[in-house]
Amino acid sequence: MSETTNSIPVPQSENTKFGMWVFLGGEAVFFISLILVLLLTRFVNSNYEAEFRSLLSIPIIAINTFILLTSSYFVVRSLEAIGVGNQKGMRNNLIGVLVLGLLFLGGQAIEWSSLFRDGMNYSTTFGMPFFTVTGIHGTHVFIGVLWAVYILVGNRHLPYTKGNHLGIENFGLYWHFVDIVWIVLFTLIYLI
Amino acid sequence: MSHQTAEKRVNYLGVFILLAVFTLVETLASYLQQTAIKFPVLIALSLAKAVLVLLYFMHLKFDSRIFSYLFIAGCVLSIPLILVMIFVMPVIANY
Repeated sequence: MSETTNSIPVPQSENTKFGMWVFLGGEAVFFISLILVLLLTRFVNSNYEAEFRSLLSIPIIAINTFILLTSSYFVVRSLEAIGVGNQKGMRNNLIGVLVLGLLFLGGQAIEWSSLFRDGMNYSTTFGMPFFTVTGIHGTHVFIGVLWAVYILVGNRHLPYTKGNHLGIENFGLYWHFVDIVWIVLFTLIYLI
Repeated sequence: MSHQTAEKRVNYLGVFILLAVFTLVETLASYLQQTAIKFPVLIALSLAKAVLVLLYFMHLKFDSRIFSYLFIAGCVLSIPLILVMIFVMPVIANY
């Protein structure tokens, strides 16, 4: 067997990572379905631009997108740090992820409040799919924030090491996936 | 392949800067007048960003290809759902 990257089997120690990818595959089906509902609602109704898109604040959401991308960078830095046994670097970067995750949720709360003030709510044609998709995505971010707290607290009792940090890698996969979903939503809801 | 090996090859800051620049370009492009090229450009930038995150931040470029297959399988499994929504739902709605 040739020693290429593609022929490398999944090591037994990475079983949980395999499980995480199975989970993310399922999540992909889930989010693609939701996004599709949103797109169908948009294209079936011709007044999207006038009734809904004009109410969205692109600058706020662009900043929010940048915040989430930055948090993804902090995740890889955290993983990079623990990969060389740097506990402090891992912890500090993870705190950065936590703070940025909360900032993202704050930005989303501001956006939702503004939409509610403008008369948009869950019972409207465009409000229903919008609040469903962005709400479920926001819930995923919130779960990610809780997961980061769990890692930080757990690390005090049973520290991750240079050779044992799959828990952080799995968290990273989840967080990056949530980031990818937002990258797609940002374009489809706000930019196009 | 473990991520430590991957880290030696990947300039994460470079990937992040690229993602940030793409986001800035996308945002500015969204203010342009609606043209035939605007839609494909925005979709292409969005896909490029998603692929960058998958390949480098999620290490799919360096990990076992099984992980890539699992993720692609999820996306492929959505195709029947997409077809049902596009072709069957309007029929049911009219019925």
